[in-house]
Amino acid sequence: MGLVRRNTPPPEETAAPPSADTLLSQLDDPDPELRREAALGLDGSAEAVAPLLDRVAGETEAAVRDAMLTTLAAHDTAQVAEGLAVHLASDDAGLRTAVAETLATMPNSVPALLPRLIDDDDHDVRVMTAMVLADLPHPEAMTWLAVMIREDPHPNVVTAAIDALLPSIGPEHHELLRGAVERFPDDPFLRFTVEAAVK
Amino acid sequence: MTETPVKVLVVDDAATVRLYHTSLLSEAGFAVEEAANGLEAVEAALTTAFDLFVVDVNMPKMNGYTCVETLRSETVGTPAPVLMISTEDRPGDAERAYAAGANLYMVKPVSAERLVRVARMLTAGRGIPA
Repeated sequence: MGLVRRNTPPPEETAAPPSADTLLSQLDDPDPELRREAALGLDGSAEAVAPLLDRVAGETEAAVRDAMLTTLAAHDTAQVAEGLAVHLASDDAGLRTAVAETLATMPNSVPALLPRLIDDDDHDVRVMTAMVLADLPHPEAMTWLAVMIREDPHPNVVTAAIDALLPSIGPEHHELLRGAVERFPDDPFLRFTVEAAVK
Repeated sequence: MTETPVKVLVVDDAATVRLYHTSLLSEAGFAVEEAANGLEAVEAALTTAFDLFVVDVNMPKMNGYTCVETLRSETVGTPAPVLMISTEDRPGDAERAYAAGANLYMVKPVSAERLVRVARMLTAGRGIPA
């Protein structure tokens, strides 16, 4: 066996990752790509939670906002859930839907908020809550949707909850659904939704 | 002269809403396709010349306002009318829809008769069944 000369490459010069302080200041950079990189780079940083929550509603670039929400969602804490849930009532459709999608990935912290969200005075917030529950990986999600179907006074919330429950609907839900039709006999869409669901 | 059916794209993340609107509009003679969010709608509009878009507001991936703005942008550039239907009835929602490029904004629930009537009005002159 001949000798094999190993050409060991010179050690690569790798830049040290930016500090959390650097990334936090980068969140206010005029360049959205730098803001996005900073938001993602702050993944796992507890000290970044409050600054990200402060900035998420004011962020104008969807890609940056989504990066902020991704980093925040990974914490799945009460602070993050409460800080984001207020935006379910936002006038910004992009923000409220992005927040709903984010909350749906936070099964540890979101359940504690549900009694308040399900009882919110704003029926649009309750519709968004049904959207959250539709995708929330939590064993009680279907139970909460059933509560909304059974008790919510607004037909749009009830139909949103039925739609969210749709993939899991079985014969055991038929009485619940028919009860919703009885509560809103003049709502043709709700009746259609229930008929489609029980077929 | 052969008239072609009026093509409608129903855009809503709620399967039951899509089914409801599709059912009503199909029975009224429209040729209906569906998209589950704004992004799917934009992709569909790039390959098909729809005569009417019926668009929800709160949707994942791309919300209704952004969808309509994109439909009106140079990227798609559709002149077809857009009807936005949403649960949102806060002050400013309709203005936001019109600013994005919608022709009409209605708050759910919309009766079957009204949906078909409005769809016919918005597509008048575009073939069957206007």
